[in-house]
Amino acid sequence: MAGWAQHLAGIKGLVLDISGVLFDSGGEGGGVPIPGSIEAVKKIKASGLKLQFCTNETQATREKFVKKLQRLGFDIVVNEVTAPAPAACRILKERNLRPYLLVHDDVIPEFADIDKTNPNCVVTGDAADNFSYKNLNEAFRVLIGLENPVLLSLGKGRYYKETDGLKLDVGVYMKALEYACDIQAEVVGKPAKMFFQSALREMGVEPHEAIMIGDDIVNDVGGAQQCGMRALQVRTGKYRPCDEQHPQVKADGYVDNLAEAVEVILKQLHK
Amino acid sequence: MAARRALKAVLVDLSGTLHVEDSAVPGAQEALKRLRSAPVKIRFVTNTTKECKRDLLERLKKLDFDIQEDEIFTSLTAARNLLEEKRVRPLLLVEDGALRDFSGLDTSDPNAVVIGLAPEHFNYQMMNEAFHLILDGAPLIAVHKARYYKRKDGLALGPGPFVTGLEYATDTQATVVGKPERTFFLEALRGTSCAPEEAVMIGDDCRDDVGGAQNADMLGILVKTGKYRPGDEGKIKPPPYLTCESFPQAVDHILHHLL
Repeated sequence: MAGWAQHLAGIKGLVLDISGVLFDSGGEGGGVPIPGSIEAVKKIKASGLKLQFCTNETQATREKFVKKLQRLGFDIVVNEVTAPAPAACRILKERNLRPYLLVHDDVIPEFADIDKTNPNCVVTGDAADNFSYKNLNEAFRVLIGLENPVLLSLGKGRYYKETDGLKLDVGVYMKALEYACDIQAEVVGKPAKMFFQSALREMGVEPHEAIMIGDDIVNDVGGAQQCGMRALQVRTGKYRPCDEQHPQVKADGYVDNLAEAVEVILKQLHK
Repeated sequence: MAARRALKAVLVDLSGTLHVEDSAVPGAQEALKRLRSAPVKIRFVTNTTKECKRDLLERLKKLDFDIQEDEIFTSLTAARNLLEEKRVRPLLLVEDGALRDFSGLDTSDPNAVVIGLAPEHFNYQMMNEAFHLILDGAPLIAVHKARYYKRKDGLALGPGPFVTGLEYATDTQATVVGKPERTFFLEALRGTSCAPEEAVMIGDDCRDDVGGAQNADMLGILVKTGKYRPGDEGKIKPPPYLTCESFPQAVDHILHHLL
């Protein structure tokens, strides 16, 4: 039996990444479930373990994203999902920031009641086709014109997997703007500690009582471990075999998919 | 400093040193003639991402500079040389005006990525294409890594941010071929049969022209024209070999003290 499975006593909750763990996005219908994942979510809920989903998804509002997952067959509701855009809105309001939005058209409704006139910061998310030179340049001009430039980045992923292949993620454009303006972005979303902590708060579970399951070795696994959680990497989604030899991050365990992780965890906890 | 040998080559920056936009630096044409009468090889070196050599040459000729095309060495030339040396087929993210400097290269089924300045190519789809090639092992070659540049309508992103983004996405380092890279200055001397210790560089960019050249074991002369701002000479260590008003004074110094 895998080493990680021998020390599961005291585990009270699971935090699941969504894209690449529950489903692969892209194509018609917006994606396809990863085999066994729909059942795995049901089993977690039936087991009495606490469950929270923690995503860096910013190509849609949280409501629309959850509806899509429901359509795909998942048992999931909005308040079970911790997502960067609502977290960013809280920060914008707290700090009186008026953003220039470099984001996907479909996530703009999340920012509906935020003042966006005369911007004094930039918020960037996974803007996909909106990452044009023109839009990036506009964001750059806002930042370079500010005395104290603030760049909020909804995640800092390098790439993610869609049904037709790997796609550049927001981190690439965050780095581009950081370099252009010689600044450091503030990351809202994984791997920021605050983001994992807010997911744990939703569950009422301490970091050492929770396991994160994700496909991103740095942002899911590394981020959760930094926060004091244990973390498993699934061999689905953006997983690449070289991730298991990552120079900085070592997962507590590697599993073929969510179904395998859940099966092992539940078996151990019910011994 | 290592013992220097007699000067045999002079490298001259173009924009900001010989001319500022469409005007020649006063006295620069005459000064170039004086320099030509001395026994030195002359190369004109520039970080360009959008203009091919022919366009550069045309502008200089209009301003009455006596310059030959084969005396010009640009970051695009450096990129081309590297592609030929590596025997690779590039995906060229450069502006159409720059494509001429890559003519004759096989660009089918690319296995290398060259990033110049190409606003119309820096869209999400093209960036993804470059990303996939690099993940498959294609070398990433940056014409240079400038953060931004000045356009008529304001500041605009240079190639640097896009190179940095792709470096991050693929966890690789780009090979930068333009100034201030050491190899750029060494490549510029190719064909002159001069060693770096026998060369001097004249330019208006303290870091990229003077610092880069001095890092390649040449002498560097900073001119106070073009993008020069007071205090620039204090930005590099060791400081410029010499800082002077403009190109003609630099030439006079060379003629009187370095030959």
